[in-house]
Amino acid sequence: MNCPMEDRHSETLVAYAAGELDRETAAAIERHLSVCPACRSMAAEQAALWNTLDIWEAPPVSSDFDRRLYGRIRNEARLSWWERLSRPFRPMPLRQALPLAATTCLLVIASFLVRQPDQLTPSRPRREVVRADQVERTLDDLELLRQFGTANQAETPHADTM
Amino acid sequence: MGVAASALDYDAELMLRVKDGDGDCFGLLLDKHRVSVIHFLYRLVQESAVAEELAQEVFLRVYRSRSSYEPTAKFTTWLFRIATHLGLNWLRDGKHERGLERLDYTPPDVPVRQITDRRPTVEQQLVYDVTLDEVRQAVAALPEKQRAAVLMHKYEEMEYSQIARVLGCSDSAVKSLLFRAYETLRARLAHMGRI
Repeated sequence: MNCPMEDRHSETLVAYAAGELDRETAAAIERHLSVCPACRSMAAEQAALWNTLDIWEAPPVSSDFDRRLYGRIRNEARLSWWERLSRPFRPMPLRQALPLAATTCLLVIASFLVRQPDQLTPSRPRREVVRADQVERTLDDLELLRQFGTANQAETPHADTM
Repeated sequence: MGVAASALDYDAELMLRVKDGDGDCFGLLLDKHRVSVIHFLYRLVQESAVAEELAQEVFLRVYRSRSSYEPTAKFTTWLFRIATHLGLNWLRDGKHERGLERLDYTPPDVPVRQITDRRPTVEQQLVYDVTLDEVRQAVAALPEKQRAAVLMHKYEEMEYSQIARVLGCSDSAVKSLLFRAYETLRARLAHMGRI
């Protein structure tokens, strides 16, 4: 077999130390180890590491683990629809809440800015439609005013003579 | 990716029964995976009370997701993905710095390793404590993905492909992660007599 170290397949030696290889592959590795000092050294170190890691035992599980879990499940069943809906946000740590809040603010500002140009564009002057009858009526009114003024002027000297 | 019901792993079948309202099957899944999930989380966060709290959240999430569960991968892959996500998030949030359980602290209920006799000598116990402390510190010093990969590979005996799915990377990336992690551990623990 090719040298696992030279072929960058050192994971084979890790698997060998972990006893994960099938019998045939393990035998091929052992034949190689007998002639390759580099692989032999690495395999021995890995096997020693494997044994050292074995000493780390985890503590036994609390006897009331299931009782606490089923208690939480029962409590969940009693939650209202609003509490269930808001649940993902409640225990949110600051690390997650801050980016979410910042994104929301940005979206609000962006939507404001997108809408703003329309509002900022000067509105076109409104074209007023002047109807012909309106013009006529206005001219009539002006004429009446003019006549009224003339009549006043004509009547004034007469009043003075009285 | 849909998996035919006949090709499902037993756990996924149990979970589908939970989806159909069979609460007993959830109990079976809990019995089967409780210890491995708690132990994995314990070695990840290195605090036994926190590990149990996080494991409760893992199983609670599994239960909550029952109605939308689809067996697209092995059940344990999904389970450990949730556990890894919660554990790493807890570490990233820096909560371990507040409720600090010293690395050299050994919970009173940790089984004492029997070396030759039923009662190890004081010296043997001291050597064991120092070794354990060094192992815990060496693992804790690994980058988070390497740490999770080592714990799944060494203590949960998971295959590369499954670890890859849990961590969301390729098989070759996992091989590389593990190789670098073991290389670091070998170097860090080289001064110990065993290595």
